[in-house]
Amino acid sequence: MAELAWGRRYLMCPPHHFGVLYEINPWMHEAVAVEHDAASLQWQDLVAALRLAGAEVVTIDPHPNVPDLVFTANAGIVNGNQFVPSHFRHPERQAETEIDAAWFADHGFQVDRLPAELDHEGAGDALPFTPENGQTVLVSGYSFRSDAAAIAALGDLVGCPIKAVQLIDPRLYHVDLTFCPLDERRAICAPMGWDSYGRKVIEALVPEPLWLEDHEALAFCANSVVVGTTIVMPSTPPRVGRQLEAWGFTVVESRVDEFLKAGGGCRCLTLALDVTLSPTPARQ
Amino acid sequence: MSTETVVLKGHIVDSLLLAKVLDVVVDAGVAYELSDVQIGRTNLDVSQAVISLEGEQAQLDRLIDELQVHGVNRVSAGTSTLVASDQDGVLPAGFYSTTNLATDVLVDGQWLAVENPEMDCAIVIADGRARTAPMHQVRAGDQIVVGSGGVRVQAPAKQGGPTAFEFMSSEVSSEKPKALIVREVADRMRAAHERGGRVLAVCGPAVVHTGGAPDVARLVEAGWIDVLFAGNGFATHDIESNVLGTSLGVSVAEGTSTEGGHANHLRVINEVRRHGSIAAAVEAGYVTGGVMATCVRKSVPFVLGGSIRDDGPLPDVHTDTAAAADAMRALIPGVTVALMLASTLHSIAVGNCLPAGVETFCVDINQAVVTKLADRGSHQALGIVTDVGPFLGHLADALCGGR
Repeated sequence: MAELAWGRRYLMCPPHHFGVLYEINPWMHEAVAVEHDAASLQWQDLVAALRLAGAEVVTIDPHPNVPDLVFTANAGIVNGNQFVPSHFRHPERQAETEIDAAWFADHGFQVDRLPAELDHEGAGDALPFTPENGQTVLVSGYSFRSDAAAIAALGDLVGCPIKAVQLIDPRLYHVDLTFCPLDERRAICAPMGWDSYGRKVIEALVPEPLWLEDHEALAFCANSVVVGTTIVMPSTPPRVGRQLEAWGFTVVESRVDEFLKAGGGCRCLTLALDVTLSPTPARQ
Repeated sequence: MSTETVVLKGHIVDSLLLAKVLDVVVDAGVAYELSDVQIGRTNLDVSQAVISLEGEQAQLDRLIDELQVHGVNRVSAGTSTLVASDQDGVLPAGFYSTTNLATDVLVDGQWLAVENPEMDCAIVIADGRARTAPMHQVRAGDQIVVGSGGVRVQAPAKQGGPTAFEFMSSEVSSEKPKALIVREVADRMRAAHERGGRVLAVCGPAVVHTGGAPDVARLVEAGWIDVLFAGNGFATHDIESNVLGTSLGVSVAEGTSTEGGHANHLRVINEVRRHGSIAAAVEAGYVTGGVMATCVRKSVPFVLGGSIRDDGPLPDVHTDTAAAADAMRALIPGVTVALMLASTLHSIAVGNCLPAGVETFCVDINQAVVTKLADRGSHQALGIVTDVGPFLGHLADALCGGR
């Protein structure tokens, strides 16, 4: 089993200002209070789990009034030394873009921008898959948060083929709730989130998918973080855990229930910083 | 019917996006054509598809909204560029040359429908309105549309549906049942009048030679023909046959040549010139019947366009061809049915001035005339290959009752 070439260095944001202050996905209910101490502990547990698995975690300072900054997966797309900040669909999250862009610029990244009128929510809606002896492709979701037209523009910026998959279930509003690459042959897949064309695209791309049942998908099984052969999951249904272990992975469950109140799991709380999509970005 | 051009770009083939978009188009019942497809040569290269969509505008708007979800975008029509003409009768270089199809132009963010669509003209924008203008009518300072940016041409509606002329939708044929065709033309004329449209007849001299003129006169008399275009020949033969009983010296009734008949048409022209106009000749009682006299009595406007080979000509003939075309243009608005009757050159001339929406029936014994009309851009012309004389008899019977 060839481990993923990326996933050993993550950007995370401490949840000091996290809360459900608005409702922009079916999981969010302003009436449901976030237990701040519990959220903080769960976040620290996740950091510990990732470090234990061998990953490095760096942090971005939290900001008031942008509670979802904690979901760093949506900051943008990392490609080597290049960073493409997200354009958020909902005004509630749009203030995050410049905070993220400033952090990456300060840390030596070249910041390339998408056309202003196109929405794309970063690694939350685009994950790389590198088949055996193949070219890395980004699997990018569209409809609820990202524009299909933005996907073409993103491909131009990062110089990597992108397979666009239409998301059809509003509960699985980002592609990282439906797709988790494990290695060069396998990925956790939630087909309930994709239209029939998207399913065919993934079937053609991933030789050995772990198809999630609907209830497993809705338990955010696909929103997991892979560090080498360790998979850090927000929940592990027995069937899924057995399959992953049979494939030789170590499964670590890291409960992030407070964050699920905002519709985010383990993957949403992390942004891999060691992703290279193409040797040289295509156009700048 | 409208057409819209949209573009889809990216890794659209292996993402099955192109397949999905085309499926959505087909499901919407909209016709499409892939006008340009560039498939990336490697899996790194992006592909691009330019898709033309054809349907009702409202349907297209709905479809394109739906397609935008998949990254499909309208190819920007841009806004139109206006350049002032700097000389009378001369257009700015690069002027937009019109078709005879319904056309809209985007000016100051608003789509303006171009009035009086006509092929081979310029589009003049004035006072928030757009109209076609032939080159010679343009005056210095007129704002002219330049380039094709911001110009949207509506595709001709496909003949079809219950009221359309389906049985003739194909092409010219001499093999089609004439009685049925006559009935259909009569129905189209009735339908035009019911909707407040006007019927134009374009008559060639053969209408008189074949004995069809009295039937045209019956149609004018009964109010079925609202506008008449012809040349010096038709009017002369019509008057000659009524005054002298001959057409080009040949007895219309007997079919025999008459003594000195070869000069009959000249003598008739000469007498009408003496009266000063056809109307004056009719009033004076010199011409008592026929198509022209009936037009005068029923106040049906006519335009006689001249040509170099004209004898005389009759005083009503416009010898300045640009003026003749302008006189015809003045009478075309409101015309919804045109009958082109045994006239090659005049039919083409009139066809050039007609909007594509005018139902045009070209009746000629010579199949080539109909083809020629279509080749010159009047694609809406439906050909009826038959002898115009009997055709007009049957048409007049169908509309005015049997004799």
